[in-house]
Amino acid sequence: MTPEELKHMIEMSGTINMEIFYWWCTAIMILIHAGFLAYEMGASRLKNTLASGVKNILAFAFVVPTFFFFGWFIYLGFTSGFSINWEDATAGIPWSASMGPNLTDNASGVFWAAFTMFAATTASIMSGAVIERIRLSSFLILAILLGSVVWILGASWGWHPSGWLTKEFGYHDTGAAGVVHVVAGFFTLGVLLNLGPRIGRFAKDGTVLPIVGHSTPMSLIGLMLIIVGFFGFLGGCIIYVTGDQWVTIYNTPTTLSAFAFNTLMGFAGGIIGAYLITRDPFWMMSGGLVGIISAASGLDVYYPPLAFLLGFGGGCIIAYADKLLQKFKIDDAVGAFSVHGVGGLIGVIGCGLFASGYPNMDGAPAVSLSGQLIGALVMALLGFIPGYVISYALKAIGLLRVPADVEEAGLDIAEIPSTAYPESQGHPAMPNGAAMPPIQA
Amino acid sequence: MNSSPITSWEGAAAYFTFADKPFMLGLIFTISVIVTLGVIGSMILHEKHSFERLNNKD
Repeated sequence: MTPEELKHMIEMSGTINMEIFYWWCTAIMILIHAGFLAYEMGASRLKNTLASGVKNILAFAFVVPTFFFFGWFIYLGFTSGFSINWEDATAGIPWSASMGPNLTDNASGVFWAAFTMFAATTASIMSGAVIERIRLSSFLILAILLGSVVWILGASWGWHPSGWLTKEFGYHDTGAAGVVHVVAGFFTLGVLLNLGPRIGRFAKDGTVLPIVGHSTPMSLIGLMLIIVGFFGFLGGCIIYVTGDQWVTIYNTPTTLSAFAFNTLMGFAGGIIGAYLITRDPFWMMSGGLVGIISAASGLDVYYPPLAFLLGFGGGCIIAYADKLLQKFKIDDAVGAFSVHGVGGLIGVIGCGLFASGYPNMDGAPAVSLSGQLIGALVMALLGFIPGYVISYALKAIGLLRVPADVEEAGLDIAEIPSTAYPESQGHPAMPNGAAMPPIQA
Repeated sequence: MNSSPITSWEGAAAYFTFADKPFMLGLIFTISVIVTLGVIGSMILHEKHSFERLNNKD
């Protein structure tokens, strides 16, 4: 074998390894959707169970083609802000040579796939908050906007080696706490403000009335599945370099071991913090999620007990954050804003507090608190403004929410041709999803 | 229909169907977009019809 042949073999080996790695990350990320499916169906009352499931399944389905049509183009082309960098964007044009099977390009497909899964995750984040009253069509319009335009624009700015937030302010967000979770969380908040609470959620005097999902065990299993999927997500956040050390999306060196340490420690801290404050298994599992998000921005650099403490802090805070929303009569059915919006802020700002000074590449400023604060603000506004404006427009034309009588009767009976639990739902659902009386022999 | 852009695997790069036929790529792309938007449109109509039907049942 000649040296050139050997070099080619090593490079090809590395290329195939890279492809395999992102393939399995993508596959594992599908568990995020299995998880959200279980989580949201479980959090819905009986009369809305399948409608919540359909909403979830379609969010995934619609983000995939729209991310192909324009999402990937946005990521590649908008690193400078709102102007298009055509030289870089061309590879994302949906009929370009990179956007399909290509024997000289083993990377585009698997990277596109991983990013598409991130995009679908943002739509899933919004999905739970708005259950039981949003119109499916409007939800999908918002999901496409969030998943294939808004978050990926944020990623182009702050989750790209050439993104302006990093080049000018040293913004560091390894595990996408800002670009995914802050963006999706604040987008969701904007939608919730226009959507309004579920009927019966708040008494006239503002007292919060409980609306309980039909299966907390299903929600708990769903949340645990999301954690498994999160490992696929975080695997997709690290960059494989043939014959060399891993790097973050910012080209700074790191290891998958670093991610392993800090992801598990953040996860555990989050569960423990949420248990301490609430003793409630639903919040405990949400705490596990927020624990990872709270440590996400600095997964590559934290001392693992620090990740544990950041996760613990996030887990302690989320229930209070949700209560604060309720004070303003904002009905976030699953605490999505608390976990992702607030958790994401903890992640981004935490990195500024505890990881300032880490160097960036190619002349970008070092990580700093001011850089992280700027990044957090940009991501929050990038999420909130389109979420609020578009949902306002949908509301204005009467398309945002189902009619009140449909909401009372249940979305399943109105929209879905099948029944979630036919043996106990022998006829149209009882009001408020109450259990059927026993069938008399 | 000959959709293959290659006649040999030697030196092949982009080899997806119609990779060398921009018109066909554009047509398939356009149909995909129409399908995506069209299903959302049909969803809006389905919702309207379903909600009215529920009201009539009551």
